[in-house]
Amino acid sequence: MLSYNTKIAIKSLRRHPLLAAVIIAGIALGIWASTTFTTVRHMFARDPLPGRSERLYFIRMDNWDPARPYESNGASGLKIPPQLTYRDSMELIRSSIPVRQTAAFISNVVVFPDRRVSRPFASPARLCFSDFFPMFEVPFHYGHGWDKRADANAEQVAVIDDATNQKLFGGANSVGKHIRLGDRDFTIVGVLAPWRPFIRMYDMFGNFTAEPEPIYIPFNLTPKMQLRSFGNTDGWKSAGSTYEDFLASEVDFIQFWVELRTPADVAAYHRFLDDYVRQQKKSGRFQRPLLNDVRSLRDMITEYGIVRPQLTAMAVMSVLFLVICSMNLTGLLLGKFLARAPEVSVRRALGARRIDIFMQHVIECELVGIAGGVIGMLLSIGTLRFIGKLIANSVHFSLDLEMIGAAVFLSLIAGLLAGVYPAWRVCTVQPAVQLKG
Amino acid sequence: MEIGPITRALLRNKIRFALIVLQIAVTLAVVTNAVNMIVAEYKDMQKQSGFDDDNLLFIRSRPFAPEFDKQEYRIASAEADLRALRGIPGVRAVSNTNFLPWQGGGSSGELKVIGGDGSVYRTQEYVATPGILQTLGVKIVSGRDIRDTDIDDDPNSTVSTILISRQLEKLMFKGKSALGQQIGNDAGTNNIVGVFDPFYNPYGWPIHEYCVLFAGHVSRTGARFLVRVEPGMLKQVAPMIEKRLIATNGGRNVELRPIPEVKSQYFTQNQIVIGAMAMVIVLIIIVTGLGIVGVTSFSVAERTRQIGTRRALGATKPAIIRYFLMENWIITNSGLVLGILLAYALNYLLGTLSSGVTLDWRYVVAGVLLLWAQGIVATLMPAMRAAAVPPVIATRTV
Repeated sequence: MLSYNTKIAIKSLRRHPLLAAVIIAGIALGIWASTTFTTVRHMFARDPLPGRSERLYFIRMDNWDPARPYESNGASGLKIPPQLTYRDSMELIRSSIPVRQTAAFISNVVVFPDRRVSRPFASPARLCFSDFFPMFEVPFHYGHGWDKRADANAEQVAVIDDATNQKLFGGANSVGKHIRLGDRDFTIVGVLAPWRPFIRMYDMFGNFTAEPEPIYIPFNLTPKMQLRSFGNTDGWKSAGSTYEDFLASEVDFIQFWVELRTPADVAAYHRFLDDYVRQQKKSGRFQRPLLNDVRSLRDMITEYGIVRPQLTAMAVMSVLFLVICSMNLTGLLLGKFLARAPEVSVRRALGARRIDIFMQHVIECELVGIAGGVIGMLLSIGTLRFIGKLIANSVHFSLDLEMIGAAVFLSLIAGLLAGVYPAWRVCTVQPAVQLKG
Repeated sequence: MEIGPITRALLRNKIRFALIVLQIAVTLAVVTNAVNMIVAEYKDMQKQSGFDDDNLLFIRSRPFAPEFDKQEYRIASAEADLRALRGIPGVRAVSNTNFLPWQGGGSSGELKVIGGDGSVYRTQEYVATPGILQTLGVKIVSGRDIRDTDIDDDPNSTVSTILISRQLEKLMFKGKSALGQQIGNDAGTNNIVGVFDPFYNPYGWPIHEYCVLFAGHVSRTGARFLVRVEPGMLKQVAPMIEKRLIATNGGRNVELRPIPEVKSQYFTQNQIVIGAMAMVIVLIIIVTGLGIVGVTSFSVAERTRQIGTRRALGATKPAIIRYFLMENWIITNSGLVLGILLAYALNYLLGTLSSGVTLDWRYVVAGVLLLWAQGIVATLMPAMRAAAVPPVIATRTV
């Protein structure tokens, strides 16, 4: 029966191609708009590390000025500086409670490649611990990150990204090769696969859709290479004049992440932080009321307001647009189906049941819905690529499985809802009335 | 007119007309809120910095030669760069500074009035060499500009010479003059020698109009410059700048960014919202218009015999057209009444879900007028087809 009904449905659509085109275009428009804008919002709102984001926690401590709190515009309203000091990070990293942890910050190094390949150039570089790579699921093409011994000994090893590898080594496996950064020689231990997370979730300050850094080196090289932060820094006190002063100062510039497996671990880590701060208070630091924040990655996304209000507004408007298109569709379908009342009456008089007529028309609606949905999705993919180019930073908007599923679902539902009333109306037409003339 | 019969006829096909009424209502709601959003984003983009943005260029020097590790070398190099830049034809003013307008951020700090009540204020803070005001295109409103003699490159020095923006003067000194006063924190005290105006640079914190300019060089991580060119000369001058700077000192790379590009990137999100919402408005008007055409056509088709009969009895063509226009008028107005309610409801919903601007009643009026026009245009074609129905239809039985 299904194939018979489908055949009739297709035939009926073909008989009035212009009308069918208008109907399909209506659905396509609605699906196009709603898919595009719900996807844009979705890309900002979705979990950047599914499965892991509840286990990764960002650490913040209030080491700010006793005279007045840090002015914070986080969603939680908590007035707490967003990063840690060097000295606190070096103490916290000694805890054995987290199953993985890393301190990290952005600096800048000068890369001296082979002169024949390229002029020296300055490059952002991320200082981090070995756990950074597994914690944020950083994908490797060749090699891997360094190990804990390299962390402890501040070995001169480096991980470079795909673009840098292309530029300096033509894309070959450069593990084991050397690269000069600043005045030191580094050995490459890993090359990343092309990696462009939509949200730079390990450092969500400022421009969180910025590209990841091209070079990664062990955190403990910081004092040896006298590196300073090239990212956001906050301080309420002078950082002193020497580099040693800077490292010992209250300047906040380090992002600190821990991976905690169970709620008991989270509680234990909280206690660890509180105990640490209380002990520091005895030597005159942390003069503000005790305030430590251990917040999951998912909650930090809310905290930073990554999803801008306009995105939600545009998503809502686009779904309403789809609703309007569906209502339009209902009107058009109603007219089209009812115009066919005489033909339907003949079929009914010949013994077709109401349910058959109903099914045939519903199938016709679903065909329209699917056709419109597919066209709408293709248009949407093109539009998303265009928007991605507009927002600079080579950001990559794409339809993931969830969004494609949503688009398919929406088009089927739109087709169904739009068509159910007209289909019902046409199948309840009294055959006798129509056949009389 | 025949409002009574028309209404009764509509009520006989409740669902069909309820659908189009609802569609018009939702259309009004979406269109008015979309216009609302567009105007809000547009207003956001209208804020002026007060600078000569269209003719400004930002230069970043990224050194790699080891000589740059020494401060004296860096400063001498920055000064050499300034001389080189001033010598380029088309360059109007230059400053060695870490200020980059329209970035959405920069650097800031907390300062208080020395000898004041202890209140601390956060303000944007940048270092610049003399020439910064001419580069930005802003004026001194009291006191004097900074001079080369104000610059103290000693890293251990805790006293600087500064200029502050007029809004900061108002904020920190209430009605009084800031000249001769000192503001600072535990990093040092600073002497205010001049006040400038205007200044607007959007910042993460609400300190867009507060600025302190410290007289000094910027070189530690590589020198940075702001260059102002003669009007319209950005494209010609930019390539000359890169060449000249590399020729002056080849131990570094040079990056240029025109300020109009920085500004445009800052407003990208606004532009996307405006573009998207404008598209939605146009599409919705078209879609609902087509819907009205459809409903009216159907209405005409249903009533062919009635039209023929009326024409046979002497009704004129305009009378037929008026009939259908009136029918549409009733439908549209019912839709618009419901639509006004929905518009405010949607506005409220958007306000709670995201941050919304309240709906200006003038947009609602504009939306109503637009949809009236749409209704009339959409109805005309089917109505004219109706008027073309020949009276002889009345006599036909087939």
